[in-house]
Amino acid sequence: MTMLSRVAERLFWMARYLERAEDTARLTSAYTHLIMDLPVGTDLGWQSLIHIMDADEQFLVNHRAYNEQNVLKFVIADELNPASIRFALKAARENMRTTRDVLPEETWEHVNELYLYSEEMAEKSVGRRNRYAFLEQIITRCQMINGLILTTIPRDHAYRFIKLGHLLERSDMTTRVIDVGTGAILTRQAPNEAIDPLLWGYLLQALSAMGAYRRAIGPQLEATPVVDFLFKETTLPRSLKFCLTGIRDELKPLLNHEASLRLLDQAQRKLSRFNAQDLSLEEIHLFIDEFQLILNQLSRGFSSAWFRPEES
Amino acid sequence: MNNSWKSYKTDGFYDELIAPSGNPRQAARRAINLLQSLPEEEMTARRAAADIAISEMGISFTVYTEGGNIDRAWPFDIIPRVIPEQEWQQVSAGLAQRGRALNCFIDDIYNQQKILADGIVPAEIVLESPNYKPQCAGVSPRYGVWAHVCGSDLVRDGKGKFYVLEDNLRVPSGVSYMLENREITKRVLPELFENYSILPVDDYPSRLHTTLASLSPRDQKRPSIVVLTPGIYNSAYFEHAYLAHGMGAELVEGSDLFVADDDIVYMRTVDGPLRVDVIYRRVDDEFIDPEVFREDSQLGVPGMMRAWKAGNVAIANAPGSGVADDKVVYAYVPEMIRYYLNEEPLLASVPTFLCTRKKERDYVLANLDKLVVKPANESGGYGLMVGPHATKATHRKFARLIEENPRNYIAQPTLALSTAPTYIDDTVQPRHLDLRPFILQGKQSWVTPGGLTRVALVKGSLVVNSSQGGGSKDTWIVGKNR
Repeated sequence: MTMLSRVAERLFWMARYLERAEDTARLTSAYTHLIMDLPVGTDLGWQSLIHIMDADEQFLVNHRAYNEQNVLKFVIADELNPASIRFALKAARENMRTTRDVLPEETWEHVNELYLYSEEMAEKSVGRRNRYAFLEQIITRCQMINGLILTTIPRDHAYRFIKLGHLLERSDMTTRVIDVGTGAILTRQAPNEAIDPLLWGYLLQALSAMGAYRRAIGPQLEATPVVDFLFKETTLPRSLKFCLTGIRDELKPLLNHEASLRLLDQAQRKLSRFNAQDLSLEEIHLFIDEFQLILNQLSRGFSSAWFRPEES
Repeated sequence: MNNSWKSYKTDGFYDELIAPSGNPRQAARRAINLLQSLPEEEMTARRAAADIAISEMGISFTVYTEGGNIDRAWPFDIIPRVIPEQEWQQVSAGLAQRGRALNCFIDDIYNQQKILADGIVPAEIVLESPNYKPQCAGVSPRYGVWAHVCGSDLVRDGKGKFYVLEDNLRVPSGVSYMLENREITKRVLPELFENYSILPVDDYPSRLHTTLASLSPRDQKRPSIVVLTPGIYNSAYFEHAYLAHGMGAELVEGSDLFVADDDIVYMRTVDGPLRVDVIYRRVDDEFIDPEVFREDSQLGVPGMMRAWKAGNVAIANAPGSGVADDKVVYAYVPEMIRYYLNEEPLLASVPTFLCTRKKERDYVLANLDKLVVKPANESGGYGLMVGPHATKATHRKFARLIEENPRNYIAQPTLALSTAPTYIDDTVQPRHLDLRPFILQGKQSWVTPGGLTRVALVKGSLVVNSSQGGGSKDTWIVGKNR
């Protein structure tokens, strides 16, 4: 089965942006719930949401205050912010528009509809009243598209690069979600027994992992077991370990995969040595930063191996 | 019951669906009866359903304007055009004949030039045309076929007789809209299809694939076929993607291909370079190969012409095919049919005045208010003047243009183009239309049953091009009912 390098690249990014839209919607939804549950005066601000996207610089171009309206507009509806839901869906659609010949026709229709929906509704859904319904729609429709891909696309290169895009973005997002927890707690001097369980609970929910956590670990929501679970649980589709294993499965059948596999080995070894119990929250935060760097290198490695070999 | 059908007037034009008596034509009777029975709200709802389908299917085309490129939804009219199969068979045979003669002509021009030597077509008209590409001389593509895909525009006059208005042999577009129009009609007016035997059109991509595969230089079960597009910003990109998908071929851009020292075309894939056998290119001649044509082209593939001349790759349509796609050359097609095929033309051409001939030019200049004047080399309805609808100032402007460059202009009588009921502002009104069928030629030839009907949505307008405010209709070739 032939796969053009250019098409592979666009499929990879189409998947990354779709995953980004879904994950950002999940995170925003969980975060909104969390803020509503917190007692008045708790100093957990909207700023964290911008921090974990590494988007402060972009944010401060047009905004001064990290208030709810500004932050949510930036995360949901900003046309120029590459981390916003609206931008991600537009980019996913654009990549798909140029690769629709390799995917089942209805995939394109769904992505296009989702894009049209976001263009129409994103701006109107910044306020709390419509926000939840909008985020739910984004999540549901992304899942529908993923389901469609899962159940219709032949397991060839097209599927492979789509899956690589999803898994890489998801790994990145899972590390960012954990970073919300560590980051938020870090801004306080001591753990807060009233708030921390709420926080970890919503973060688990953002990854649809609450039920699985309760069954595997129990109802106690504390930093160490939650972080370990989200990093290292073999059976959880949004855990870092699961994503990396999936990436390995997809890399194996590709030609010219040596450099990428070496990087992946490095990431997997680093992860297997990780143990939340031995680390302070600050160290976990550092670990996440380092890990995100490896994920970036991996993405660049894909580019030089398959997308633009002539440029490297 | 929708009242506007009652007040529908054909106004002396030939109407595709309604006879001068005001009754539906026989082939259209069942469709009209059903449409008439729908209350106004229902028609409006169906129309809205069509708009939604178009938006969701992402059917669009791009219009180039000063304010940037606009991606517009495809304007579609839900009332189909109906043509009886018996009548169509004649047209279809005429188109196939025309396609054969045009290909004989192109092959002759780039090889022996017999038709010029015999004085049937004046040599200077052909050899001085910008569409004649000397770089193609001496090449003999398989089966002597150069124009593998031809889109000929047909119109009817006031009596209902079909004429060929022009032949598009470079990179004719529109076929995907023909296919999508059928798809939309099936979605929004499914009950129309009951009790009708409508010839299906949806096997076009597989016919195109068969045609292209027959050109492959290598004897392979599955030759490697690519569709070469200028990219996402081209007005017909939607169609390029559609056809690639329909054929299971790769949709490539110039940068996806390269020609190696062995004069073979390869595409860049994740598994490394892969040989290409057939290029269905939707890029104009001028841009396909910077080594031979425009040096600044970013859309083409350096070395593509080398590979083609060495016989290592087939290009459809072959470079240089446009030599027969010229409105001056058009005037000679009936002669070509007699010369190469020894047959009489089955389809009429529109009488054409060549401004290169003094007598005809004088006639044109004296009758600008009655004629349609067309530039010899433009497509898309650009730079054309419909005399009866133009101002005096425009007449003067064209008189000047013609005198400055007579080779560049032809004129034709203004035809009373046929009309069909079209749904405008919640009422049914007559609008003028044309028809673009597609002729495929490779080892074998094939003509689409019907084609793309384009309709001028502006009242009284004769310009049907989508870039100029035209819309389209589903086109049915219907057999006798059981």
